[in-house]
Amino acid sequence: MIRLEGLGKSFGSHQAVVDLHLEVKPGEIFGFLGPNGAGKTTTVKMMTGLLKPTAGRVLVAGRDMAADPIAAKRAMGLGPDEPFVYPKLTGAEYLRFVGELYGVPLADMKKRVPELLEMFELTPWGGELLESYSHGMRQKLVLGGILLHDPKVLVLDEPMVGLDPKSGRLVKDIFIRLAERGTAIFMCTHVLEIAEKLCHRIGIMIGGKMIACGTLDELHAQSKKEGRDLESIFLSLTGGAEYSTLLKYL
Amino acid sequence: MLAPLLRRRALTFTNTIGHWTGYEWVRNAAFGSAGFGLLFGLHYGFYRLLKYLATVELIGVLLTWKLTAMLMLMTFSMVVVSSLLTALTTLFYSYDLKFLLKAPVSLRSIFLDKSLESAFFASWMIGLILVPYVAAIMRVQHLGGAFLAAFLVAVPPFLLLSASFGIGFTLLLLYLFPSSRTRDVVWVFSSLSLTVVYGMVRFASPEKLVRPDALKLVAEYLNFLQAPTAPYLPSWWLAEALRLAAAGNWSGWAVRAAGLWGTAFVVYGLLVALAGKIYFIGYSGAQEGALRRREHGFKALPEQRLLGIGTGAALLWKERTTFFRDVKHWSQILLIIGLVFVYLFSIRRLPLDSAELRSLVSFLNVGTAGFVLSALGLRFTFPAISLEGRSWWVLRSAPIDVGGVMREKFLFSAIPILLIAVTLSLMTNWILDADRFTAWLSFGALVTVALAICSMGVGFGALFPNFQVENIHQIESSVGGFVFMAACLFYVGLTIAVLATPMQMHFAVRFGTGAWNDRLAAYSAAGWLAINVLAFTVPWRLGRAALENHE
Repeated sequence: MIRLEGLGKSFGSHQAVVDLHLEVKPGEIFGFLGPNGAGKTTTVKMMTGLLKPTAGRVLVAGRDMAADPIAAKRAMGLGPDEPFVYPKLTGAEYLRFVGELYGVPLADMKKRVPELLEMFELTPWGGELLESYSHGMRQKLVLGGILLHDPKVLVLDEPMVGLDPKSGRLVKDIFIRLAERGTAIFMCTHVLEIAEKLCHRIGIMIGGKMIACGTLDELHAQSKKEGRDLESIFLSLTGGAEYSTLLKYL
Repeated sequence: MLAPLLRRRALTFTNTIGHWTGYEWVRNAAFGSAGFGLLFGLHYGFYRLLKYLATVELIGVLLTWKLTAMLMLMTFSMVVVSSLLTALTTLFYSYDLKFLLKAPVSLRSIFLDKSLESAFFASWMIGLILVPYVAAIMRVQHLGGAFLAAFLVAVPPFLLLSASFGIGFTLLLLYLFPSSRTRDVVWVFSSLSLTVVYGMVRFASPEKLVRPDALKLVAEYLNFLQAPTAPYLPSWWLAEALRLAAAGNWSGWAVRAAGLWGTAFVVYGLLVALAGKIYFIGYSGAQEGALRRREHGFKALPEQRLLGIGTGAALLWKERTTFFRDVKHWSQILLIIGLVFVYLFSIRRLPLDSAELRSLVSFLNVGTAGFVLSALGLRFTFPAISLEGRSWWVLRSAPIDVGGVMREKFLFSAIPILLIAVTLSLMTNWILDADRFTAWLSFGALVTVALAICSMGVGFGALFPNFQVENIHQIESSVGGFVFMAACLFYVGLTIAVLATPMQMHFAVRFGTGAWNDRLAAYSAAGWLAINVLAFTVPWRLGRAALENHE
């Protein structure tokens, strides 16, 4: 469903992403981890057509993002790390606008928009301008916009940031349900607990390179560490085990 | 505490330049050269004008300084209006305010930092235009570098004082009306008052004072030339300082310059003192979003009735909805309506005695109206792409073409700009009773100019997008804005030059001094077509390619 073939991105002499190969199958939730500046957001931007790769290509539902961006984007939903939306539209109007961009029929929008607002507990706010929404409310609204057009592929950059515990739980359940229905989900996160519980496979990126990829068991085998939790594996693979030495600066 | 805040600005500036790539150096050097070229062109125009004034017997010098005082008054009013627009966004909605207000920095330091930023963006470009004028005075009156130094010392407090009006007004407005709805109403009424005052001043026909024939006595005219122009405003103090410096009266200059600096210190001192008490109340009010419930009916959008179902109609609906909900745009619309009335009134008051002269002015109206449309394009069309701001990801990740977004932006600005162009053209031709040939030629030219300006506005806007911007003035006064304006003025100038040939032949036929030449007319038409093909396609294509590759 999502295929990255030798994907690379350079900014001048700096290589942000190097020769990235990856496939996320229908129904799979893939967690993408890495320290800050590893190249995760750059990868997400290339996958969603916000950045042009300097090498390789992105295939979404079999469509090349460079050659046929419209078809590739139609099959995809993006949840960015910062949910910036139009401050002078209301919540319902934003969803209507997104629906129009993705060609959702008016009759479907009429039914789905109130349902989505209800699901994310935004109904009382549906008629208010987005400038009055909190970060978490905007995050939920953006997720609502994604669900409105029912994409085959979901690309999410830190989807849980700003969500209250109840909403966080709801969003996790939504992802599980969507994956069961065959949606491929690619998710960047720093919350290792979420990656551990939610993702079928996990990839770890450092310095623009994918240094490890697989199920939790496979990652554990690669890390050669005793601890089986993702935090230990992550710290082992990213060289974070020596982090305690950094505390001397405190 | 202000020092670290100002240091971060210096660092931002040096780091930006330090990180320019080779391509950026070449590009910016090219645009910088074009900017110098434009300033030089302005200088040449000012020089010719001042040289002519200097030849007027007895009153030549008086005329020069009267013109200087009027130019300073115009600069003053432009900076005041500009600061009204920049102060609100800079003082209350800047991205870094949340960070600064969390830090242990005094409110007064933050206010001073932000008000200096606001004053800079409101005035730098208008202030820069004064340099070629002052250089022209230097050339005509054979003044040395000391005169330029005198100007450079006196102009910063003048610009700061001009900008302090907008800053002070906004500070008080946000304090007195923390509720967003009341504030919006007051904002619109303030703009309306400004428009009315502007119209009233214009309808009082001040131009009759500069026309000696309109005055009964020569003495009255001389009195006018010698009388101060708005003596209580800093524009007069600056004009006087320059006049005294030119005359070698350095003590007189020093008094005026010290007056400007002293007043600027006192005004900003008062504003800073006031800000310590009221800035935070206004900032807090500004953070509260307006709660105005609007139920969405999920009916067909009005734009869909015109354009059919598709993303184009949805984009246009989004643009219209967000544009008209922003109260800052209402004030600009009011000012534009005022501007159109004043423009037509000024045309009506022109002392044109013969039918030929009236037809000539009708043709030249393409140039002046073209300039007005360029200014509107800089305000509304050029920033349209950048104003998508941080929401740009919504469109960029959606299954729509960048060209489609640009077409929608073009359509949204072409409708009002075309309406203004048609109004200015038809009304001017009617007022001047232009002959049929001139009326059709100027009408056709102005309609094309309006559409070309919109196309260039969207094209250059896409070529120089800035989605991180927080203030519309930062977009307008950017390198891209400057290039757009220069391109528009160049295009309007070329249009006038190319269409002058058929106009010349038309007059020759009317006066019986020559005949119509079809070949020349065809060359002129071909030239006009070529200019328009370039204006419509080159910035558009460059912009589209740049926006598709924007990172």
